[in-house]
Amino acid sequence: MKKLMSRVLLGVCMLASAACTKIDNYGGPNASFQGRLIDATTHANFETSQNSIQVQLEQISWSATPTPQFIPSKSDGTFEDTKLFKGTYRIIPKGGAFWPVYDSVKMEITQGSSHDFELTPYVVIKNLTHELVGTTLTLKYDIDAPVVAGLPTIIDTQPYVNTTKLVGAGASIRDYSETRAVAINKEFIDLTPGEKSITLTIPNLISGRKFFARVGVRLNDSFKSSNFSEVIEIDVP
Amino acid sequence: MKSIHKIIIAISICVGASITSCQKLNIAPTNIITPDIIFSSEAGVNAYLANIYRALPIEDFKYRPDGGDDININGVNYSHPGFNPGNPWMNFYCSGAVTGEMVGPFGGMDIGGGFGFWPYGSIRDVNYLIEQLPNHKAQLTEARVNALLGEAHFLRAYFYFGLVKRYGGVPIITKVQDPAAPLSELQVHRDKEQATWDFIGAELDLGYQMMPETSIPGKANRYVAAALKSRAMLYAGCIAKYGSVNFVDGEARSAGYVGIGADKANGYFTAAFDAAKLLEGHYSLYNANADKVQNYVDLFLKSGSPENIFIKQYSINSGTAHSWDDTFSPRYMTANALSRSYPTLDLVQRFTTLQITNVDGTPKRFDNLVDLTAGLEPRLLATVYFPGSTLRGLMFDTQRGIYPSFSGTAAAEVAKQPSQRSYIISGDVNTLYQGKRVIGFTGISTSGDELTRTGFYVRKYIDYNKPKSTVDLYKSEQPWIDLRYAEVLLNRAEAAAELGNTGDALTCINQIRSRAGATSVNNATIDVVRNERCMELAFENHYYWDLKRWRIADVVLDNARFKGLMPYYVFNENKYIFLNETETFGRNYNFEKKYYYEPIPGGELGKNPNLYPNNPNY
Repeated sequence: MKKLMSRVLLGVCMLASAACTKIDNYGGPNASFQGRLIDATTHANFETSQNSIQVQLEQISWSATPTPQFIPSKSDGTFEDTKLFKGTYRIIPKGGAFWPVYDSVKMEITQGSSHDFELTPYVVIKNLTHELVGTTLTLKYDIDAPVVAGLPTIIDTQPYVNTTKLVGAGASIRDYSETRAVAINKEFIDLTPGEKSITLTIPNLISGRKFFARVGVRLNDSFKSSNFSEVIEIDVP
Repeated sequence: MKSIHKIIIAISICVGASITSCQKLNIAPTNIITPDIIFSSEAGVNAYLANIYRALPIEDFKYRPDGGDDININGVNYSHPGFNPGNPWMNFYCSGAVTGEMVGPFGGMDIGGGFGFWPYGSIRDVNYLIEQLPNHKAQLTEARVNALLGEAHFLRAYFYFGLVKRYGGVPIITKVQDPAAPLSELQVHRDKEQATWDFIGAELDLGYQMMPETSIPGKANRYVAAALKSRAMLYAGCIAKYGSVNFVDGEARSAGYVGIGADKANGYFTAAFDAAKLLEGHYSLYNANADKVQNYVDLFLKSGSPENIFIKQYSINSGTAHSWDDTFSPRYMTANALSRSYPTLDLVQRFTTLQITNVDGTPKRFDNLVDLTAGLEPRLLATVYFPGSTLRGLMFDTQRGIYPSFSGTAAAEVAKQPSQRSYIISGDVNTLYQGKRVIGFTGISTSGDELTRTGFYVRKYIDYNKPKSTVDLYKSEQPWIDLRYAEVLLNRAEAAAELGNTGDALTCINQIRSRAGATSVNNATIDVVRNERCMELAFENHYYWDLKRWRIADVVLDNARFKGLMPYYVFNENKYIFLNETETFGRNYNFEKKYYYEPIPGGELGKNPNLYPNNPNY
């Protein structure tokens, strides 16, 4: 019995001596980074749909060739990540329908860091009006480009309709959205004034329901990204 | 007396010790096979080569473009191996199933990011072979060593072709690296995309010059090298021509690691054309049977076909047999397992527009399902099983449902919401409507994936002679034809059309069409050549790469949904109708532009920072 006890004690001592020799002294992910994506033409928040713009972060204080991480934009044109490691980052917004930003921002990210990015959209959607006749929604709008030279080809334009106000690419009802797309496939500079005024109709909305709608114009850039209008609310009687 | 005993013992110890001592200790370790043992005999070289052939990135029956999920084979973990060493049975996970040739197992464009293919271990094996062979000319003869070196250059090109079509430029390593060398030597920089393609072209030229004219099936000869060159150079030409119009900008592109200047396109097209022409007179299209349908079916099953240039073989005995027969036909016609990948109407409509509606827009009425196939191109009927066709004595009785009665046009019916349609459908093959089966034993059911969702099943490569009871998993042995003469003709036609030599393109295309039982065409434009390629090479894992190199994948797969051919029985008329409807999975396929190149695998980037910059937008 004594022999057994001493063996057990020996085992416990060995485990104890091997345990807890060092503590992890690297700081936890308690830094945060947030900001706004600003439309350079209106100085309001950029019209995005969820995840259409991503803010790319590279922690250059960790490695010369870090694996990039991305903060997806929220639908209101802001972004936030509260679980980042403290350090120096190279930051650049990517993926949306705006003139590419080539100068990345190098900054120290600690708790509460923020930075706003001013972006020039490829296309702006103006004068959006809507009219509901019975269950058919008609959307009218004009498109314009702040910078025309070098603008990617315009692929198509389409409505996005959803039952929540989180509406946009990947968050819409297909039968009211993708299937109502109108192909354009032209350079902006070749569009006639008539072609820049667009009318979309969406028939057979369900009576008694509330819908949220917006329109988008898709461009043939690297991301095939879309510029969006503001979101409108439609009560179908 | 005692002392004599002692002396005898002492002497015998001395003698014993001296006899057994002083043996040489400097002998080669007997448990390690040295290069001399391997490379000094034909059998040794063959065994060494077999390992390399086995690792070749041939996109065969078993290739899983998403990497697959076979892990832990003989205690070794393979996560995402792609070219599965573990012999997966789910052969329906093929690249045709993300591109609209078929629909089924994948939820969408699930393969764009690749699976981390990085075969530098195998490339090292080839480099070692090239380094060692010249030391063994005495045993193997100089001529044999040269032939083997040619084979090694072909094999090395094959691995690099697998790399460059995925990543663009990769490090070109032609020497056996010493693990003890300084890190700066081991961390090799990426080469430019153009340099990588040029290297492949040069390697295949060496293969062509050094290899003999013939080889046993499954091994390379000089024409195999030429055929692969026609494919590779055609890819390079298209990347130069179309990749300089439709591209994703980024650091890797401006540094030339991805992308080739448009001015190089014609050089590559010429190289592809010349390589394809080398095979003329040495291989020919399979044309053994006057019945065009049966001929086209047999082309993929009969051994010794003059069309086969390079094949990969399988056998039940060695545990390498595949499961194509068992996983592309419904359970109704097999002994086990299930299918999940179904040809689309979009593919079928490449051959012809099916006559399923009358001029007034109402659906045509058919007495039997099989009547629809009357007059269709033999190659089409040999490529997919239509409703009404027969396999192993059983009919594809494919039926989406029953209309008690049907009036109006096809278009109006298809546009209706499902709840407004008056059809009767079922998830269960045993459901009856007034004594008549609602769906067939072969579909179309929307509960479960095991029955067709498009109305069609794959026929290409299906061994119709196998009795039903033997159609099981790991029981199919028909070889995969990796390179066949029809592809070489198509490579040649496409290169010719790109170079403006439409006359030669037309001749090649009409050779293929004549064998297919199709009518001749009068004009071989680039669109005609491409469409011919898509039809002839359907389900052979070409289409995905074709869409990519033509740089149209993001247009063809732009939130795309594909169509099926839905047969219905109209009860009160005792007739069948066919409707063109979205396939019943309702899958959505979207190809992002960044997928034209796969990302360099993360683990490799971690080991070698000189592989940066990664490809654009990763």
